[in-house]
Amino acid sequence: MLVKDNIIHTKVTRPGMPVCEVFAECGRARVQALPFVDDRGNLAGRVTLKNIMKFACLPDYMVATAPLLGSFLSCVDNAQAKIEEVLASQVDPYVRELQLSIGSDEPAIKALAIMEKNDTSYLFVVDGGEYRGIITIQGIAEQMSRMYECSKQPG
Amino acid sequence: MQADHQALSHVMFGWDPLVVSTVLFIATYAVVVSEKVNRAIVAGLGAGLMVTTGVLNQQQAVAGVDFNTLGLLTGMMVLVAITRRCGVFQYVAIWAAKKVEARPWGILLMFSVVTAVFSAFLDNVTTVLLIAPITLLVTEELKVNPYPYLFAEIFSSNIGGAATLIGDPPNIMIGSAVGLTFNDFLVNLAPIVPLIMLVTLFVIYLIWGRGLSATDEARERIMQFRERDAITDVLLMKQSLSVLALVVLGFIFAHPLHLEPATIAMFGAGLLLLITNLGRDAEEQTEDVHGSFGEVEWVTIFFFVGLFIVVAGIEHAGLLNILADWVVEFTGGDMTITAIMILWVSAVASAVVDNIPFVATMIPVIESMASTFGGADNLEPLWWSLALGACLGGNGSLVGASANLIVAGFAERAGHRIKFLPFMLVAFPLMLVSIVIATAYIYLRYL
Repeated sequence: MLVKDNIIHTKVTRPGMPVCEVFAECGRARVQALPFVDDRGNLAGRVTLKNIMKFACLPDYMVATAPLLGSFLSCVDNAQAKIEEVLASQVDPYVRELQLSIGSDEPAIKALAIMEKNDTSYLFVVDGGEYRGIITIQGIAEQMSRMYECSKQPG
Repeated sequence: MQADHQALSHVMFGWDPLVVSTVLFIATYAVVVSEKVNRAIVAGLGAGLMVTTGVLNQQQAVAGVDFNTLGLLTGMMVLVAITRRCGVFQYVAIWAAKKVEARPWGILLMFSVVTAVFSAFLDNVTTVLLIAPITLLVTEELKVNPYPYLFAEIFSSNIGGAATLIGDPPNIMIGSAVGLTFNDFLVNLAPIVPLIMLVTLFVIYLIWGRGLSATDEARERIMQFRERDAITDVLLMKQSLSVLALVVLGFIFAHPLHLEPATIAMFGAGLLLLITNLGRDAEEQTEDVHGSFGEVEWVTIFFFVGLFIVVAGIEHAGLLNILADWVVEFTGGDMTITAIMILWVSAVASAVVDNIPFVATMIPVIESMASTFGGADNLEPLWWSLALGACLGGNGSLVGASANLIVAGFAERAGHRIKFLPFMLVAFPLMLVSIVIATAYIYLRYL
């Protein structure tokens, strides 16, 4: 099984793109991150849902006091306003450094090994500097499941 | 070893060891203060150069490291790393806030007292790491300015830390070097801490306390916190609090038991690691122990190692004797003037530079004064002056102590920036007030 058998094709994010488009694309493609392409068209970073949530919605003190948080808190009342504020903002402040990528002709087991080594659940697939899509543990698991189902079918 | 210790240095190119060690010492200090390079790297390189240039040989360098300080620090860090996972400290904070019915000034008082008490038994950084997030959560819900609370907690952590042997690294270093016990610190330093806390909180009340108010609705939100939710692991809480209590008892009875604090702390850490890993397989144990060791502040530990060697270098070359002679000459060999000078210089120095290298340097300087003051036993007022000055001085500015910067970091990430100058404009005079109280205490009790 090769990486290209498991690629999930997604849009890329660009400077000035609103966060709501990132959320929509991640939801559609069922991925946690999208690549960020700069004004010159170069792959320059990544935008992850986790990072946006962390910096837009979760101050450190909330993370540290997580077990104490409850529905009685004032931030729960303000949730709708906060959601609108976050979704209308631009992705630019949330761009992180580009992580390791993998080529589409590489074996999927190598992608899994790199993910494990780097404690992540996805990798961007890049050939010659050009973004092809994303490979995820969830996608590989689905592909494995499909292969298993096929092998069980008679004939 | 003793022969090695007394051996003359063979510095490369025949350079004067006093000059080489002084240059290395000043360079190490300067780079540490600049904060351009991680302090463990700087101290390690400084130590390495002390040996490679020939100021010290390897045996002398190793002999210069105070393993009692390192053992005590490491053991306590492991104990606290495990204990904090159970959430008991957050439980106490919420319980305290509810005890005063979520009144804003009452919460400030309670959080300050909790911080001071925790700081006396845990390191200050851990204490503020635990209390600052709760403070930001509570003040957010009360809709009050978190600044007075965080300011009070910074002061409380440094004041509380002065009370015991294990409260602040300077005390650990002084206790270890001089052989002062946990009880010595408790008897000599703890009595003045409540008075300094009281005066500090009174000033904070005058500046901010009178203006603190919250609506009934906001206070009701605080009252709805369930402190039991903070306890994430009841068994771990029982285990870790039992071992912590045993360790504190061990410190109290260390003298009759003929045990050093490092032995007690390391034994406690080993015991807690054992009982929290009972019933786990080898892989789970390895992962847990790895996690606990991972929370030890190795940067601080290696900073200490390097620093001890750098200080051993200048001590071996004779610089510290020269410094001690200079201090004695300046004070005319008068104990009162010397003690007060050490207290004030320590406080002002600790407000602007890391108090750890300062104390590491001052310990051998004070030890060298033994002959002037009629023996090592008569130096006790100087040790308490150094301890109070170094611990309380940390309140003088935002960079005076690591705990101050941790609080500032939390505040900034929550959108409440603590600016250097406005903080110092209030903190430095208030720190001086605490030093005036400490001066009166030292004078009346020891001089």
